[in-house]
This record gives sequence, structure tokens and C-alpha cells, in this order.
Amino acid sequence: MTWPSSPEWLLELQARFGALLRTPLDRSTGSLRADTSAYEAALVEAAEASATVTSADRLAVYHRQYWFRLFTVLQGLYPLTARLAGYWRFNEFAAAHLRQRPPRGFDLDAVGEQFELSLAELPPASVALASGSAVGVAAQPLLEAARVDAAFHRVTRAPHAEPFHPSMADAARLLASGLRLSPAVALVQENWPLCELRAALADRHQHDTIRLPEPWPAPRCWLLGRRGSKVGLLALEPREAQLLDLLQRLPLEQALGHLEAAVPPAERAALPEKAQAWLARSVRLGVWAGFAEAREGAADSR
Amino acid sequence: MPQSLAREALGLGLRTRHYRELGEPWPALDYFEIISENFLSDAEGPRYHLDRVRERYPIVLHGVGLNLLGPEPPSSRYLDRVAALAELVDAPFVSDHLCWTGAHGVSHHDLLPVPHVPELVELAAERARHVQQHLGRPFGLENLSSYVAFKASTMSEWDFYAAVVERAACSFMLDINNIYVSSQNHRFSPSDYLARIDFSRVLQVHIAGHTREPSGILIDTHDQPVADPVWQLYRQAFREHPFPTLLEWDDQIPPLAATVSQLERAKAVRA
Repeated sequence: MTWPSSPEWLLELQARFGALLRTPLDRSTGSLRADTSAYEAALVEAAEASATVTSADRLAVYHRQYWFRLFTVLQGLYPLTARLAGYWRFNEFAAAHLRQRPPRGFDLDAVGEQFELSLAELPPASVALASGSAVGVAAQPLLEAARVDAAFHRVTRAPHAEPFHPSMADAARLLASGLRLSPAVALVQENWPLCELRAALADRHQHDTIRLPEPWPAPRCWLLGRRGSKVGLLALEPREAQLLDLLQRLPLEQALGHLEAAVPPAERAALPEKAQAWLARSVRLGVWAGFAEAREGAADSR
Repeated sequence: MPQSLAREALGLGLRTRHYRELGEPWPALDYFEIISENFLSDAEGPRYHLDRVRERYPIVLHGVGLNLLGPEPPSSRYLDRVAALAELVDAPFVSDHLCWTGAHGVSHHDLLPVPHVPELVELAAERARHVQQHLGRPFGLENLSSYVAFKASTMSEWDFYAAVVERAACSFMLDINNIYVSSQNHRFSPSDYLARIDFSRVLQVHIAGHTREPSGILIDTHDQPVADPVWQLYRQAFREHPFPTLLEWDDQIPPLAATVSQLERAKAVRA
């Protein structure tokens, strides 16, 4: 099947139009506005004006739509980050993300991919001290909030995966191979109580800024998992979370060795029994999707 | 052979907001339309809701990401996935827009206009013909709401639209609200537009609400009830030849029962 090609003049028009759309909205007046004075003359000239609306103002409709549509999508994908930062600041982060990683492909939700990386790439001062802040939330909790939002989104969007229930025949391999986390599961460690806060933001239509809670005295770990169309949270003991994390990279025997080396001597005696219970619970909860991908020279994976 | 819809069928665009209300009770609708791109990934969540709906209603597919007039032709990978989804739900037809949505590797996620010239009739028709062939089922092209027209245009929008559909041997997915919005924005007669449409080739009609900006430009917002002038055009069109009618509501979405009641008005208008 041979597809016909676009004429050169259309490609030029689309390049100009696209560049206009992707020009950031002006924030200097305290609201987001399309600065039509910066529009390329050739494109403005190509568009029809009417008695009441200039051609530049007509192009501005699309210009605003581009940004506001994507801001709205990102606010929906990162509701915790948006409401901690406040929408004015969040939109500034979103604009930086979209300039760095413009949308590609047909999937609108994909515009949220790597937003947490874009946020981490911003100079910390710009994350912490962006204009319009009523809350003064600093960079570190916002980055953590973005990672929590991203984990919720990843789990929500994951494909179906059959839970892995190892049989007796898998026992030997379990000792020699790591495990693959189910795509419908995520492990999250937090320094502020953000996972429960994120789970409570069921109503995405509220827009008021929320205050950052006090940090935990020590980091907490959560297992995020999907059942049907809902995402649930399960608190994990730190050592349990550490074991689940290690099991993704190391065979069981080595993972247990690392864990044992990490715990104080007083905890070591109880560790084997606890580790067995944590492992059994993880299998029961459907945390695993199979054996980890085989490394070079190792046996093939499930 | 895909199932077909009755010409008088009334349907609703399925949105995430509706999921929690489905089954409490199931609404009195003849069918649902889904946005294809919302179900093209292998994410389990959307598929769960889709499965519930398709057990009870016919489903048609409406795309926003085909990019028919983009610099690159529609990708085979994308079309394969749309075709598989259409097969899964046994869609009577698939539709998308006569527009471009992205260029040079960037998706703008908007329905963008082109100049209406014969050269682009050929381009759009040839591509639409390929799309219909690839999908293996009827394919409808939707007219846009537009806010910009180009001085380079040498044809009216309706002549351009009709010529593409006729040359591609595909169908109209006619949006009556879009006709009204564009007619106000570009000062043409919506009746002239309707007069150019061969209603025997209309797969489905969309109706929706719009908003007037302070500048006077009408925006296709889908966030309020269908406006009276749009209902008048709808009546005029339905009298030409009946067609399945689909209500789109994408923002400020009211409870499902209230949304469905808008379709009761469609029955009254065309009686």
C-alpha cells in the first residue's frame, strides 16, 4: 500500500502552526495568556481575519487550547503534586516538562511520562521558590509527590498480568533467580505521608491547594496494587519492602544474605521466619509476575 | 460482517466520568461511542469498563489521533490497533476527523484545520480510502469546528468535505454542532452546508454544546446542553434522511441520567 505524500507548502504551514502552538504562554501578567505580538507574520498573514476578530486572535484560540488541554491532563495525572504546589506553580513545571518532552503519539495520557524526571531536572531553587506560592513547599517533597503520582498512574494503567504462584518445581530456580514485579504493583518509599493523601484525592475536580503534612520520623514503605479498576495501599515493614526490592535484582539466597547483612545482630535470629512470611504474603497478594529476565548465561525466564 | 445501528438510534459518548454510574441502572440508550485512543493500550482498567459496556450495548469507535492530513501518513501500527479494537467490540463503524493533529514528531492533541483546496481533497481522499481498507469496515470522516480559515482556500468547507468523502468512497460522520460553530466563526450559512451533504452516506450525527468567548468566537467545548440553533439544524438534517445520533459531553459532565435526558429532546425535536 503506497500512501500519498503531503505537499511541501502544507508541511511548511504545519511546521509554523506547530511552532506557534508550542510557544509557552506568557505568565508575566499573573495569568496565562497568548502573546499574539510574537506570532510569526507569515502565519498570521495566511489566516483570515473578520471584522471583529483578528487572524492572530483566531490562532490564539488554538495556542491556548494546546497548553490548557495538556495542563489539565497533567493535573489529572499528578493531582497530588498539583495540589501541593498549587496550580499556578504546577503549570509552570508542566510547561517546562512539555518543552523538554513534547507530546508524541496518540496517547494523551502519555504526556505524563517522565514528568517526575522533568521536575527533578529543574534547578531546585525554581521548584522550591517558583512565583505565586502560597504554601512554600520545597523541592524534595514535591519530587516525592510526583513519584507517588507516577506510581499510582503506572499501576492504574498496567496491563493484566497473571499472578505468579511458584510451585514446588520452581523452588530450585527461586534460589537462583530474581523475581519480576507485577506491572499492577509498585513499591513506594516516602518521607512524608503522601501515599494515603494521594489515595484520598479521589475527586479530581477539587482544585484547592493542600498543605504538606509533617514528615514521618522515619521513611515508610507502601505496596500499591490494583484490584479490578481500583488502586489499594498496603503498609510494609521497612525490611519487608527491602526484601521485595532485593528480590527484583537478586536470587532469593543472595537477597536474604543482603538483608541479613543489613539488619542489626539482634534482629537476625527472627529474620528467617519473618522473611518466609513476607515472601508468602507477597505471593498471596500477587506481587510477582514471574521470574526475572535471565541474565547472559543464565537459564531462560518464565 | 459488523453489526449495524438503526437509523433512529440514540447514543452517548462514553467518558471516564460515566464509569461509576454505569449499571445503576443501565441507561436507556441504543449504543455507546468510545474514543478509540482511550482503549488502544493494554491497560486493564479501561478494558474492564469496556467489557461491561459491550456486554449490553453496541459500540462504535471514534478516533482523535488518526492525523489524516499530517506530514506522515497514518501509521500501520496505529491502524492495526484500531482495527483490533473494532474487531473486539464488533463496531458497526469507525470514525475520525478531517484534519491534522500533529507534525514533525510532535502530537498537538488538537483537531487542526487546513486550507480547503483541491490538492488536499486528493491527499485526504486517498488516505481515507486506505484507512477504510485497512480497518475493513465503514469509515466516517468528521467535519471540524474551526476558529481559523486560510486565505489560500479556494473551496467552501462543505465542498471540500463532501469531495473528500465522495472520492474516498467512505462516509460522513457529520457533527451538526461543528457546522453551527464554524458557520458563526466564519460567517457562512449552515443550511448551505447541509444542502451539500448526501445524507444517505451519513453514518452518524454528533450533537454537543458550545461556548461563546468574549471575542465572539464560538468554541466547541462539549460542556453544556445542545444549543437551540443546533437543534434546529438537527431537525432540518434529520428530515432529509434519518441517522444514528450521538451526544458528546466532555467537560462539566452532569449525572448520567441528566445527560441521557438530552437525547430525549432529540426524539422530541425530530418528531
